Amino acid sequence: MHTFVGAVLRVTGFTLSNVHNFVKAMDLELMDAINARGLTKRYGDTLALDRLDLAIAPGEVYGYLGPNGAGKTTTIRLLLGLHRPTGGHATLFGVDAWRDPVTAHRRVAYVAGEPALWPSLTGAETLHFLARLHGHTDRAYRDELIARFELDPRKKVRALSKGNRQKVQLIAALATRADLLIFDEPTSGLDPLMEVEFRHCAEEAKARGQTILLSSHILSEVEALCDRVGILRRGRLVDEGTLAQLRHLRGQTVEVTFVGPAPTMPALPGVSVQRVGDNGLRFQITEGVGPVIAALAGHPVAALISREPSLEEIFLHHYAEPETGERDGNSADVTANG
Amino acid sequence: MAEPAAALPTARGRTGVLAALARQALRDARARTVVFAYLFAVYAYIQPVGYRHTYPTDASRRAFAESFAGNPGLRLLYGQPDQIDTTAGYTAWRVGGVLAIAAAAYGLLAAVRAGRAEEESGRTEVVLAAPVSRATANTAGLLAIAAGIALLWVAEFVGLIAASIPAGGAAYFALATAMTAAVFTGIGALAGQLVPTRRSALGLGAATLGVLFLLRTLADTVSGAGWLRWATSLGWAELLRPLTDPAPLVLLLPLLTTGLLIAVAAGLARRRDIGAGLLPRRDSADPHLWLLGSSIAQALRGQARVIIAWLAATAAFMTILGVVSHSLSTADVPENVQRQIAKLGSGSIVTPTGYLAFLFFFVALAICLFVCTQIGTLREDEEQHLESVLAQPVARWRWLGGRLILTAIAAAAIALAAGIAAWVGATAAGVRVPLPSLLEAGANALPVAMLFLGLGGLVYALVPRVAAGIMYGLVAVAFLWQLVGALIGPPRWVLDLSPFAHLALVPSQPFQPVSAGVLAAVGLVGAIGALAAFSHRDIAGP
Repeated sequence: MHTFVGAVLRVTGFTLSNVHNFVKAMDLELMDAINARGLTKRYGDTLALDRLDLAIAPGEVYGYLGPNGAGKTTTIRLLLGLHRPTGGHATLFGVDAWRDPVTAHRRVAYVAGEPALWPSLTGAETLHFLARLHGHTDRAYRDELIARFELDPRKKVRALSKGNRQKVQLIAALATRADLLIFDEPTSGLDPLMEVEFRHCAEEAKARGQTILLSSHILSEVEALCDRVGILRRGRLVDEGTLAQLRHLRGQTVEVTFVGPAPTMPALPGVSVQRVGDNGLRFQITEGVGPVIAALAGHPVAALISREPSLEEIFLHHYAEPETGERDGNSADVTANG
Repeated sequence: MAEPAAALPTARGRTGVLAALARQALRDARARTVVFAYLFAVYAYIQPVGYRHTYPTDASRRAFAESFAGNPGLRLLYGQPDQIDTTAGYTAWRVGGVLAIAAAAYGLLAAVRAGRAEEESGRTEVVLAAPVSRATANTAGLLAIAAGIALLWVAEFVGLIAASIPAGGAAYFALATAMTAAVFTGIGALAGQLVPTRRSALGLGAATLGVLFLLRTLADTVSGAGWLRWATSLGWAELLRPLTDPAPLVLLLPLLTTGLLIAVAAGLARRRDIGAGLLPRRDSADPHLWLLGSSIAQALRGQARVIIAWLAATAAFMTILGVVSHSLSTADVPENVQRQIAKLGSGSIVTPTGYLAFLFFFVALAICLFVCTQIGTLREDEEQHLESVLAQPVARWRWLGGRLILTAIAAAAIALAAGIAAWVGATAAGVRVPLPSLLEAGANALPVAMLFLGLGGLVYALVPRVAAGIMYGLVAVAFLWQLVGALIGPPRWVLDLSPFAHLALVPSQPFQPVSAGVLAAVGLVGAIGALAAFSHRDIAGP
């Protein structure tokens, strides 16, 4: 029986090693660009990152948000294997960057929040050196980027402003055309025109299928570029999902203006009510709009506006609120959904 | 009695700001100051004690003194001997010269730190953006340095008093040393005004120290060149003749020089932009792509100037000292005195070969100090740009290993340059000594440097922030251990704790392959441990 099946498979050119290679290829294809499991970092007494689970698929653009000191840069340093995890582990395209940084970094380009460059080298020398270290650079694209970012490559790094040093890093990273781009506040110090240029470059990278991890404070940038967003607070990922999911889960705001004074509303589950002037009420709704509509029936409504929260509102909501068990429960749900 | 917080700035005014800034500067320098103070106290104490122990009788002291009347070898290091058949004279000679150089280093480091490093880091800008004038900030820095120098004065004074040197003489002697620190504070302050980075200011200051040391060396060793002593601040410390024949009027020289240098520096500081130097600097250049192919090549590019400066300084010194070796002869030194000199741990330094061998002992020290400077740059480079290197496909061991190998090669180059230069100098002066034996002497200085390089790498991998300080301390202690220990005559095993004790005095003694091998092997183990430890720690960001 076995010999028969074997013969058939051989005839059809289907061998076990073929199957193995095929599955391996599939596996690589499906492997996350970034994967972190229980990633934890402690500096002395400070818990900088607390059991982070993160999975970013190839081609995805992921916005990483959080207030100062939330652990964004720590996460990136752990992902790159620059700092050693206290617990858990992280992989870039299946390679643990702590164990094998050389293999992992071949597919990665990184822009640090604080440019770490050589003061005595000029911009052109720095780009040349970083390209040699990385091993792969698209020279034509690099020259195009120098022109687009209006960098003077003859200037020494020590004479460059923060924004111009940031440009050197950005050009070096983008010109590698690496599969994964890790950006830590890439536009800090850039003027608005250059910010727009960066956004164009990131969109082009996204169109080419490059993966981007974008740690940023600039919410409009994240909103415009990112497929998914994670919000970090005191070392914990408190919320994660697509922008639509986050908006949905954070509920919506309904503002109602009445003809005459606003009536008193009964207590509704999952709804908070706020008075706006004499004639208006603002409903913050987390469950569904049904109970509010039902409660409004019979009252003289002049106008009704419903809107989803902006990213800024979601962001502020997380930052302002004290940490609670409930929030953690929510975040676990979201992670499971996302 | 607490004042309301809002009233503080106006109530305390300028002196309050001055005190706050000076306190901050002092706190910043406390580790360096304490280490120097400790060194000063111990060294000042141990020399008179050792002398009395080794030469208990007048006869032995006279014999010792006679042997040195014509020996340029020791003058080179310790300066012009005066009345060294007395404890006071010997102490002034042995302590004064060495501590003057240490004091110069202290003044230079402190002034460059206050005048340039603070500015380079951007902190000066923050201070001057507050309602603080440049003069106030400048004065606060100088006050802190003055306090540090005062502490060194106290340390030396206490060390001398503890060794039963009379209080008046000890105070004056310590003042002579402190004056050298003051002059070099002025030199460091001026260097900090001329060039825009801490590294280049230190380089400029160190070059000045080198030239002044060379002048003192020539004044002390070349007959008829004694007047040169007036041209170097290190010579003034000798001209003050502490403990033997004080000439307090000479104090005017360092006082006036210090005042002048500081006034010029302050004047320049008022005229220039914050962050800039006075010497013009090019901020744009065509790309030069040589030595940018790998991280080790780039490290060589970054360190090339430093390495060349070390090579040039070593070559210059060894050429001159090679010429000086000619003036030595054994004819007039009795055999019992030669034995006494041998006790100093310096071998038979009364022959040209012995003297050259003795010099290479100091070449070994110089190369060890070079290694320490390189360990220091590892940390600086880590903070400045290592993250950018290691975020690329570059292995950590490759970066650190490359730097250690580069340092080892540079050390070897310095050692060989010392050998060649000494041969050139000696040959030019008519001393017959084969080149291979001096190259061997240079190479012989390497194993101990490799030991400190390996250990330095390990210390850097484990505690990067304090690595350079620890290594400078280890080298200094090991060297003094050997120099001073040999004089006091403790048990052999105590002396053997210093790596320098295992250095054969090539070419007057045969090369000792076993000792050299053990030193190098310990260094290699340290280096391997360094690579292992370095791949297990967090990298400091900028």
